[in-house]
Amino acid sequence: MTLTIDRRQLLAGMAATLAFSGIGLSRANAATAMRLLWWGSKERSDRTFAAVKAYQAKNPDVSIAGESFGWDSYWTRLATQTGGGNAPDLIQMDYRYIFEYARRGALLDMTPYLGKSLAIEDFGPANIDSGKVDNKIYGVSLGVNSSMVVVNTSAWVEAGVEPPHDGMTWEQLGDACAKVTAAKKRRGFYGTADASGGEPAFECWLRQRGKALYTADGKLAFEAKDATEWFDLWAHMRKIGACTPADVQALDQQTLETDMLVTKKAAVSYAHSNQFVAIQGLVKEKIDLVSYPMDAGSKPGQYLKPSMLMSVSATSPNKDAAVAFVNYLVEDPEGAKTLGVERGVPASPKIRDLLTPDLDATSKQVVDYIGRLTPHVGPLPPSPPNGAGENAFLLKKIAEEAAFGKTSTKDAGAKFTEQAAANITRG
Amino acid sequence: MRVETSYKAPSAFARNAPGYLFLLPWFIGFFGLTLGPAIASLYLSFTDYNLLQAPNMVGLDNYVRIATADDKFLSSMKVTLFYVVCSVPLKLAFALLVALLLNRGIRGLPVYRAIFYLPSLLGSSVAIAVLWRQIFDADGIVNTLLWYAFGINGPSWISNPDYSLYTLVILAIWQFGSPMIIFLAGLRQIPTDLYEAASLDGASKARIFFKITLPLLTPVIFFNAVVQTIDAFKAFTPAYVISSGTGGPIDSTLFYTLYLYQEAFGYFRMGYASALAWVLVIIIAIFTAFSFLSARYWVHYDD
Repeated sequence: MTLTIDRRQLLAGMAATLAFSGIGLSRANAATAMRLLWWGSKERSDRTFAAVKAYQAKNPDVSIAGESFGWDSYWTRLATQTGGGNAPDLIQMDYRYIFEYARRGALLDMTPYLGKSLAIEDFGPANIDSGKVDNKIYGVSLGVNSSMVVVNTSAWVEAGVEPPHDGMTWEQLGDACAKVTAAKKRRGFYGTADASGGEPAFECWLRQRGKALYTADGKLAFEAKDATEWFDLWAHMRKIGACTPADVQALDQQTLETDMLVTKKAAVSYAHSNQFVAIQGLVKEKIDLVSYPMDAGSKPGQYLKPSMLMSVSATSPNKDAAVAFVNYLVEDPEGAKTLGVERGVPASPKIRDLLTPDLDATSKQVVDYIGRLTPHVGPLPPSPPNGAGENAFLLKKIAEEAAFGKTSTKDAGAKFTEQAAANITRG
Repeated sequence: MRVETSYKAPSAFARNAPGYLFLLPWFIGFFGLTLGPAIASLYLSFTDYNLLQAPNMVGLDNYVRIATADDKFLSSMKVTLFYVVCSVPLKLAFALLVALLLNRGIRGLPVYRAIFYLPSLLGSSVAIAVLWRQIFDADGIVNTLLWYAFGINGPSWISNPDYSLYTLVILAIWQFGSPMIIFLAGLRQIPTDLYEAASLDGASKARIFFKITLPLLTPVIFFNAVVQTIDAFKAFTPAYVISSGTGGPIDSTLFYTLYLYQEAFGYFRMGYASALAWVLVIIIAIFTAFSFLSARYWVHYDD
C-alpha cells in the first residue's frame, strides 16, 4: 500500500523536476545565452568581465557567461568540452592551436561575415591572415604581439649598471648581467633568468641565424649543432654568473607568477609584450621592455603575431550573436577601450589611434615597443605541426638536464633534435 | 469463517523496492561514472582518439608502443615505483608508531586522533600541495630552519631533480592519518588478557610487541598495505601541483598518472592515454595479486 503512494509521489516529483527544467530551458532560449572561455591573468579577467558587462548593458537580450583558466588547464578544459560536444560559443584561441582546432572542424568559418557584422577590413591583410587556416577566417586577432626582454630598471640602477637597450649583442647582455649579479645588491639575485628552456627565446635566436623551429611542411628547421650552440651560450652565461643557477631557474613554471623577474630572482626575464602590463601589475618596481639581443649581421629574429585570437565554435547555436560580440571587442571603441592593450596592441589602426591618448604609462610603453620593433621584424613563421606543443616542454626538460650538469651540451643538442623530430612525426 | 482474500503477500521485489530505491544513486554512479567510462576507455585504448575527431581503430598499436618504444613510460614507471616502495612502508611504520602512542590511554585521545587525521583529510587537496611547495622552496621554512639551526644554505628542494621526489615521499608520509585510524581500531581488537598473561610471565615490552601485537595486527597491516599501495600508484595531485603539471625538473616528479594526463589532455592523445591507463590497471592488479599470495605466509587470522 505504502509502496504505491511512494511510487506516485516519485512520479509526481519526477514530473515536477522535468517541468522545472523545461522552464529553465525555455528561459535560457528566450535570451541569447552564450559562454566565453579564455586563459590569462587576473588583470585580463577583470578587463574581459568589464567588456562583457558593457556589452550586455547595450544588448539586454544577450547574456554572456565568462570563465577564465590558467594556460595549462585552459587547453584541457577546452579539449574536453569540445570533445564532449559542449564547446563554449566564444573561444579564445592561440596561434599554436588554431590549425589543430580549425582542421578538426571545431571552429566556425567566419569568412562569410567579413565586411558585414565582422568589420575588420582595416586590420590589413597581414593581421587578417594571421587568423586564417586554409584561406578561411577561423580567428580574429585580439592584438599584435611580439616576444620581449623585460628589464627591472630599478634593480639595474641599484647595481650601478646601465640597463639593457634595443640592439645589444648576446655577449653584451651577458656581460652586463654578470655585473648585476656581481654587484650583490640583493640576496639570491642574478642578472638574467636562464632562457635556455624557453621556446620563444630559442626560436628568436634560431631565426637570427637564418634557421627556424619548423619548416612550412612541418619538419624541424634546425640541426643538432644549432641546439648545442644554444645550450653552450647559456652554459657560458651560467659560468660567468650572468644567469640564475639551475635549481633557481627550475622554480619557473612558465607562468607569469613564477617568472624569475616577478619572483625577484633576476633583473631580466623573457616574455611576450602583451604580458608586460600584467608583469608590471605583479612587481612594484619600475620595469621596461626592450627587444631581444642580436649579433652584428644577424637576421631579424622577432616577428609580430596575434597575441591571441577570438574564435567561434562551429557548433554554437548563436553564431551570429557570437560574431557580433567578437566585432565589438576589436572594432567598437567601447569594447576595445575596456580591453586596452592587455591582449596586445589592437590590430585596427583606427582603434589604436583612439586608445593611445588615454593609455596609462605602462600600456604606452607596450605600444611604443611594438612601434619601435615593427621595422626590424621578420615574417610570421608557418604554424607549428601537431606534436609541437610537446616540444616546448621537451626543450625545458633538456635545457634543465644541461643546466644541472646531467648531460653535456653536445648530447643535449643531439637529444633535443632527435626527440623533437620524433614528437612531430608522431603528431 | 472469514477468508483474507484482499491481502496478497508482496513479492520479493516489492518488499525490497525501498532498498533498491536508496541504492539507485550508487547504481547510477557505478554504471554511469565508473563502469561505463571504464568500458569506453578500454575501447578507446585500441584507437587513435584525439578528443576532437572520431576515433579510428589502430589495433594493438598503442600497447605495442608502450611495450617497445616509449622512454617516458619507463621513466615515469620508475618514478612511481620508487614513490610506492619508499612511501608506503614508511607511512605505515609511522602510522603504526603514532597509533601505538595514542593507544596508551592518554587523556584527550579524540582530540589527538582528529589532529593527526587532519592532514589525510586534506590529503589530495591542492592547498596542501601548494603549502608543500612553499615549505620546500629555496626561501621556504625548511631552508630557513637549516640556516638558523645549522648554518646550512639548503638547496631549493622542490626544484632540484636530486631531491624533488623525496619531498613528495615526505608529503605522503605526513598524510598517515587514515592507516593510523585503522591501526588504532586494530590495536583495540587485541584481547587484553594476552598482555596480562605476558606481563605476568615477565615478558619485555619489545617481546610483547613482536610476539603479540605485531602478529595479531597482521590482518590490519595487510589491509593497510594493499590500500596504500593502490593509492600510491594512483598518486597525482601533489606531483601535478608541485611541478605545475610538467613533472619537472627533468621529469623527476613525472608520476605515471601525470604522464598519462599529459598525453591525454596536453597532447590530445586520448587513445594512447587510455592504453596507459589500462596498463596501470594491470600493474596494480599484479601487485595486489602478489600481496594476496604472499599474505598466506605472514598474515595471521584468529585460529
